[in-house]
Amino acid sequence: MLPASLDEAVTALAASPAAVPVAGGTDLMGAVNAGLLRPMALIGLGRINELRGWQYQDGTAQLGAGLTHARMGRPDFAALMPALAEAARSAGPPQVRNAGTLGGNIVTADPAGDTLPVLAALEATVTLVGPEGGREVPVSHLLTGLDPMRGGELLGYVRVPLLHAPQVFLKATGRTGPSRAAASVALVLDPARRAVRCAVGAVAPVPLRPLEAEQWVSGCIDWDGDRAIDPAAAAAFGEYVAAACVPEPPQADPEGLEGGPAAAAVRLRRTVSVLARRALGRALK
Amino acid sequence: MTTPSSSGDDNLVAPGPGVRQGDPGSATGAALGGGPAGAGTATTVGGGTLTQPRIPAQAAEHGERADGTDTAEPIGLGTSPVRADALAKAMGTFPYAADLWAEGLLWGAVARSPYAHARILSIDYGPALAIPGVYAVVTAADLRLGPTGLADGAPSGPIVQDRPVFAADVVRHFGEPVAAVAADHPDTARLAAAAITVAYEPMEPLTDPEAAFTAPPIHPDGNLFRHQPVRFGDPEATGDVVVEGLYKVGRQDPAPIGAEAGLAVPRPDGGVELHVASTDPHGDRDRAAHCLGLDPDRVRLVVSGVPGATADREDVGFQVALGLLAIRTGHPVKMALTREESFLTHPHRHPALLRYRHHADAEGRLVKVEAQLLLDGGAYAEVSSEALAAAAAMAAGPYVVPHVFVDAWAVRTNNPPAGRMRGEGALQTCFAYESQLDRLAAALDLDPLEIRRRNAMSTGDQLPTGQAVTCPAPVAELLDALAAEPLPPLPVDQPDDEWLLPGGPGGAGDPAAVRRGIGYAVGMVHILGAEGTDEVSTASVRVSGSQASVMCTAVDTGTGFSTLARQIVQDVLGITDVYIAPVDTDQPPAGPSARGRQTWVSGGAVERAALMVRHQLLQPLAMQFGMSPELLTISDGKITSYDGVLGMPVLQALEGKDLWATAQCRPHPTEPLDAETGQGDAFVGLAFCAMRAVVDVDVELGTVRAVELAVAQDVGRALNPEQIEARIEAGATQGLGLALMEDLVSEGGRISNASFTRYRLPTSLDAPSIRVVALLEERDVVAPFGAKAVGAAPATVAPAAVAAAVRAATGRQINRLPIPAEDVAG
Ligand SMILES: Cc1cc2nc3c(=O)[nH]c(=O)nc-3n(C[C@H](O)[C@H](O)[C@H](O)COP(=O)(O)OP(=O)(O)OC[C@H]3O[C@@H](n4cnc5c(N)ncnc54)[C@H](O)[C@@H]3O)c2cc1C
Repeated sequence: MLPASLDEAVTALAASPAAVPVAGGTDLMGAVNAGLLRPMALIGLGRINELRGWQYQDGTAQLGAGLTHARMGRPDFAALMPALAEAARSAGPPQVRNAGTLGGNIVTADPAGDTLPVLAALEATVTLVGPEGGREVPVSHLLTGLDPMRGGELLGYVRVPLLHAPQVFLKATGRTGPSRAAASVALVLDPARRAVRCAVGAVAPVPLRPLEAEQWVSGCIDWDGDRAIDPAAAAAFGEYVAAACVPEPPQADPEGLEGGPAAAAVRLRRTVSVLARRALGRALK
Repeated sequence: MTTPSSSGDDNLVAPGPGVRQGDPGSATGAALGGGPAGAGTATTVGGGTLTQPRIPAQAAEHGERADGTDTAEPIGLGTSPVRADALAKAMGTFPYAADLWAEGLLWGAVARSPYAHARILSIDYGPALAIPGVYAVVTAADLRLGPTGLADGAPSGPIVQDRPVFAADVVRHFGEPVAAVAADHPDTARLAAAAITVAYEPMEPLTDPEAAFTAPPIHPDGNLFRHQPVRFGDPEATGDVVVEGLYKVGRQDPAPIGAEAGLAVPRPDGGVELHVASTDPHGDRDRAAHCLGLDPDRVRLVVSGVPGATADREDVGFQVALGLLAIRTGHPVKMALTREESFLTHPHRHPALLRYRHHADAEGRLVKVEAQLLLDGGAYAEVSSEALAAAAAMAAGPYVVPHVFVDAWAVRTNNPPAGRMRGEGALQTCFAYESQLDRLAAALDLDPLEIRRRNAMSTGDQLPTGQAVTCPAPVAELLDALAAEPLPPLPVDQPDDEWLLPGGPGGAGDPAAVRRGIGYAVGMVHILGAEGTDEVSTASVRVSGSQASVMCTAVDTGTGFSTLARQIVQDVLGITDVYIAPVDTDQPPAGPSARGRQTWVSGGAVERAALMVRHQLLQPLAMQFGMSPELLTISDGKITSYDGVLGMPVLQALEGKDLWATAQCRPHPTEPLDAETGQGDAFVGLAFCAMRAVVDVDVELGTVRAVELAVAQDVGRALNPEQIEARIEAGATQGLGLALMEDLVSEGGRISNASFTRYRLPTSLDAPSIRVVALLEERDVVAPFGAKAVGAAPATVAPAAVAAAVRAATGRQINRLPIPAEDVAG
């Protein structure tokens, strides 16, 4: 089924509830090919033009769920939502970015999904559209399962605030070429509210917000001046974030040959700490 | 056992026009029923007919050369002709095993063990057979029965017969085949495989190789595959400086780009024809026949396009299961493994634990090397004993060491089986002894190149096995070539965003935290089978009219052997148009395409056969002119006499003739290492390689990017320089992958990253610029053409070089491969 509008797609889904929506297919088809999933029918969302673009709406941007990573990586998009653009640019190789979509990334909700920490830091909301109409849900509620997607619903739009201030997304991976995040940090400045918001990805099933660290560091920034920060405060912020998001490593000798889980946990904490520190530094540069 | 509805009418695709003999793809064409020479066959891919593109460049060459006038492009040895299959492979039209098709084929699927170690209590395949579209289910009970008359899974193996096709009573590794299914659709086959109910009684998996010595045996043959000591010199000798280290190498997967796939076609005589991407057709044929309880001549193996192999490729559980299903159903059966299955069953690199103690005098000259080496062979023997011999004999590296004491063990565990991969055994020790040399250099405050030069082995020196190194061993020259090479520029003058930092473009890298490191390594591998392996290959060369053809069953796994065979014939006979026949087991064996042996044995056999044909061609001419044939030469497509009286185009001399000859090549014999002292002339030849790695390390995140690998290699003679460079790039990149990222993770025997998302391979952004700074051409007089194998040495040395560079950048001990981020930056 290839509906041409969101309404048609919702109707089609209502008519065959066992059908599975597919956008770029970069997650879904992998699961199908691996035999993990045998959809009775597919509802292709690729023809729904209204989902493939984005527009301004009262100080926010309304992003169609069908926006591809490639599209989000372009300069016009990056000028307004730089961290989301950086996340999109780092999500897989070009072939995948040309097909993979924002909506697919959110619905898949992989812990290492690159747009997720950015959306969490931006406090984005999503519009879920079902037979009874649409409803708006904070992305964090959707991801944590506090307010999950219901049967018959499709992800229509994502609303993100336009903050007109630096935003950074940093991702640590195991190789130089495209790779899933071992840890990622999204950090956005909200000058109007004099706030720093930060989310850590890939270290837990959902992006984590170190709220106390955010609050603390917001107080360290000279918002009216050049927004500079003392390097020691930036480093402390990194530690703070890491301590909040990565559990205390078990006690063991991290220098031993075996390394083991302890060394890996120590490493993960340091990685998050370095990422958060660097992200803050870049945002305030 | 069970064939509810075999109809028996299975038509192969009829031979049709399309593939000219000798074109890429004709191997597959022949696979589907063959055809008289010249007729050719078509390969049907998913219903459509695939027409093979001719290679335009070659076609043009032929046209121009037919009259013997235009010889603008050099041919023969020492040149770098484009590989005949290059265009088809680049365009995606080269038919690989997964593209095979036959009318009426069924699809196979394998049911695999979800446990690393468990007893099989019962297998109920009723639910699978009940699924519509399922034709047959086979288990161990359908194979040749064991000596006691009970099903034992028909164990086989290249050295020790211990690996069953299907586990009969005990499963010994995660993913081990238990049963196989044939059905009319691949999904049905998979569903049916999943529907087979196997009752297991899980047992404690043995996954720590160190525990294998004391753990209860997990196989009737015990947990020790082999113990090989090496005793050389005086055990009491000591040096002024002593350094110790414990090193660990992970489990690298060959990760062939094409997963295992093949087609089996039943034969009217009850046998079967296997179309698979085998790298050892006769060996695989014999093992398959043995397991199926058939005469070898009722099993024909036809080699289809090989989508990647770095030595061993397929396991017997794949090939035999395929053949058995075809025999049972009477239908052609096709099977294509998923990527996950592929990761689980084919041979991997041996994980290793290596403990070393080096003694040196105050000048840095090595006095004694003591080593304990432990290779994890996985569940079945495969070639572990062979890899162990290489590890033990080359444990001290390409250095002169008067006293060497090694104990090496290969043990059985419930991890996936290990087998041949470029530099098996030699790679693991190279990482360890080169790390030790770095430690010694640091302890003595010596330059890492200098300490290696002071100890470099050369021709005439002895290996710790007592074998004299008679081949060229230009170790010092290789190091000198590296030393003379300028370093890549530092990116200081570049804007930060143009600098490809560790972590990649747009990554988290920070120039302020990046340190550059430079590391050196040199290592060696042995060429050909060791310890008395009968290495032999047979080839036939036939010339009729203007075309020469080569029949040799050396599989070109991507190594370029068929290009080389063409070059050899061109060189010897002066004929441009050389056709390389497809490979099947109807022809005499050439042995496995592994251990760098085909250039030597099969190249040698092709050369001899071509020389015999040359003699047949020149003899009558010589008689005619009253001179001996030795006074005639063939070059540029012309036969000329020493005095210039005779000058005849080869093609004219060949007119109306049909000449052919068959020859064998068998290198000098070797002997097994003594079981107690490790002494013996075990190797036919050695090849050496030196490498300099330059890396950038983000010392806060522990991320590494290799900037450059400079390679100096001992090649004997460069028969095809471009091909050699490609082989070096491939080997070095594979070594880099092991150094930085490739590791198949076993968690209690369960493989947790059997996918390309989780098993990371180097991408183009990870592969550094690889510069071949020297191909040293000191001919090995006993080797055909004086040439040495080139693929394994760079793969062997690259991990050590990269580790050395990371060590230099961080000042930390780098003891594990792949290097974990926590070892780079704590
Ligand atoms: C090689 C490779 C590398 C990758 N690397 C990365 C990476 O680095 N970072 C990263 O984050 N991801 C990565 N991915 C994953 C994937 O590309 C992304 O998650 C992508 O955003 C998924 O989008 P899609 O449109 O392809 O989703 P699809 O596969 O089409 O769908 C995914 C799921 O979402 C559902 N869905 C899709 N759209 C909607 C909708 N509008 N309403 C309701 N349900 C919907 C589908 O039913 C399905 O369950 C990679 C994938 C591959 C194959």
